[in-house]
Amino acid sequence: MKPGRLRDILLGSTTVAVFVLLYLPILLVFVLSFFSMRRGRINWQSFSVDWYVRLFENEALGAALYKSLVVGLLAVAGATVFATLVALYVNSARASRLSKSIEYVIYLPFLLPPIITGLSLLIMFRELDVPRGLFTITVGHAVFVLAIVYRIILTRLKALSGTLVEAAHDLGASRLQTFRYIILPNLRTPLLTAGLLAFALSFDETMITLFLTGAEATLPVRLYAMMRVGFTPEINALVTLVLGFSIVLTIVVALTWRNTTGLEGHSSRSSGQ
Amino acid sequence: MPSQDTVRTDSDALSGTGQARAPLLQIRSLEVRFGSETALQPIDLDVLDGEFLTIVGPSGSGKTTLLRVIAGFQVPSAGRIEFEGHDILNTPINARPFNTVFQDYALFPHMTVRGNVSFGLKVRGVKRNQIEEDVDRVLEIVGLLQLGNRYPAQLSGGQQQRTALARAMICQPRLILLDEPLAALDATMRQQMQSFLKSVQRKSGITFLFVTHDQSEAITMSDRICVLNTGAIMQIGEPRQLYYRPANRFVASFFGDSNLIEPCRVTEHAGRFARISTPVGQFEVQCDIPDRTQGLVLTVRPEAFVAAGDDHSNIIDFEVVAVNFVGSETVTRLRHASLPDIITMKSKSASGARPPAVGSQIRVGFDKDQCSLVPAAEHGS
Repeated sequence: MKPGRLRDILLGSTTVAVFVLLYLPILLVFVLSFFSMRRGRINWQSFSVDWYVRLFENEALGAALYKSLVVGLLAVAGATVFATLVALYVNSARASRLSKSIEYVIYLPFLLPPIITGLSLLIMFRELDVPRGLFTITVGHAVFVLAIVYRIILTRLKALSGTLVEAAHDLGASRLQTFRYIILPNLRTPLLTAGLLAFALSFDETMITLFLTGAEATLPVRLYAMMRVGFTPEINALVTLVLGFSIVLTIVVALTWRNTTGLEGHSSRSSGQ
Repeated sequence: MPSQDTVRTDSDALSGTGQARAPLLQIRSLEVRFGSETALQPIDLDVLDGEFLTIVGPSGSGKTTLLRVIAGFQVPSAGRIEFEGHDILNTPINARPFNTVFQDYALFPHMTVRGNVSFGLKVRGVKRNQIEEDVDRVLEIVGLLQLGNRYPAQLSGGQQQRTALARAMICQPRLILLDEPLAALDATMRQQMQSFLKSVQRKSGITFLFVTHDQSEAITMSDRICVLNTGAIMQIGEPRQLYYRPANRFVASFFGDSNLIEPCRVTEHAGRFARISTPVGQFEVQCDIPDRTQGLVLTVRPEAFVAAGDDHSNIIDFEVVAVNFVGSETVTRLRHASLPDIITMKSKSASGARPPAVGSQIRVGFDKDQCSLVPAAEHGS
């Protein structure tokens, strides 16, 4: 056997092993949300959507899912507005040495171990006498996803030619008009991407949430709590639904990226004419 | 540097166009420093109403800085800019009646050609049908009426350039500032755009302030040229004047292939006539004589040299280094033992003429009024 062929086989089988390891558990969950198990074997005759029906009847899980969505949307909205403002400042000509410090401050909560971020927020809220609940969770998530949103928006702002803003002023636009007509339209794609990514991060964030949660739990916290009493099979249905939702999100993100790069590809072709 | 009055008188005499135009912009003692670095030394410059004024200089000469100060993107360290008699330094960018064509065009990528061109009117709250009418008119001028719905990414470099010009023109500014707008174009397109820009300027009557590092571009397009070097104005004048009557060594060497013969000194002097002593002999010159007798440079254009001119008062014997036949003219490179640089002579090619052999000696003459005498140092010592 040629050494090259051996290498191909080794590489190939490793790849297959990695994929099996990555996706078999997910596939199993998917299968188990429709079929029941008997003596360690899947009973293929037992197809039903019972677990889905049970899931929708489980008000505790439903409420947790709802809270996760609310927290995600609010945290993303807050982080996006704040990150955009900071990015606009850092990218502006007036930003000084301060901008480097701002960057570190924004990245820190994302880079620190979540246990530190979570604990610090908990201590702060306790000292401020803020009761733990949806509000504290939302603030925690916003702080956590800020770095991602900020990075994506700043990258796009930096790529935007600085003379675009000068050109807008030159043509008589006020600052507000420049933002409204020139900057914002060029931020549409990065805002969407950053929002989706931040939402996904917020949706499965557990550690910080554990510190900040009160009586109301988000979905990951609820699942974490359920682990102690043991899972019921409707968890499989839930995971499958969340998985499906995530896949849809990923496809949307991929499509928006492809559309932007597609435009760039077009520009490089036509500029050669 | 000669005062502006003398410059203008000279240029009028040279070109024969003597109409006095009112200054649109008066720049006085304008200075820009970046930290300890001086980008612009205190300069005075008048931009006349309706003229095509080019600011030319090597990179780092401060020409873009000057343009950015006028546009309002850069705040000067000292000095004044008056627009029709009113100081405009405190007028914000969006309130100055100037528009800029940027080097990278700065077209808004998410807007079509029409969107880009109409922007200036849109932000001023002009009515929709009026905007459409004006956009049609300006696109007609720049020849882009058919491409109004394209995005900048779908345009060629020249079309982007035209869009940028249309966008700057639509608000009917008093002054259009152009920052090396042709630098990104290939040679053929650049020549087309040169004559196009010039014709648009002439037809519209809008004052153009054009920045370039390309001396041939400056000469081709401008009514007047302002030469900048290391943040100081070297000379202001019409193209012919800068070419034939450079004010100093820098201007002489910047425009065209000038032959510089130095050091020279004046031995006899009466009005515009002088006898000078140079490393290659005694000459008679008839030109503007600087107010000094030492540290001078004699500049002779390559086309002013004539072969075998015993009847000339000014004669130099050279050794032929190379002869290049380039069609309509023949370029001969010459060497003299007392000159560090090779001297260039350009003469019209003739079918019967035999070019001199390389290595042979050749006698070359020039008329006393076909040269100029300039100070070696740019600033008075």
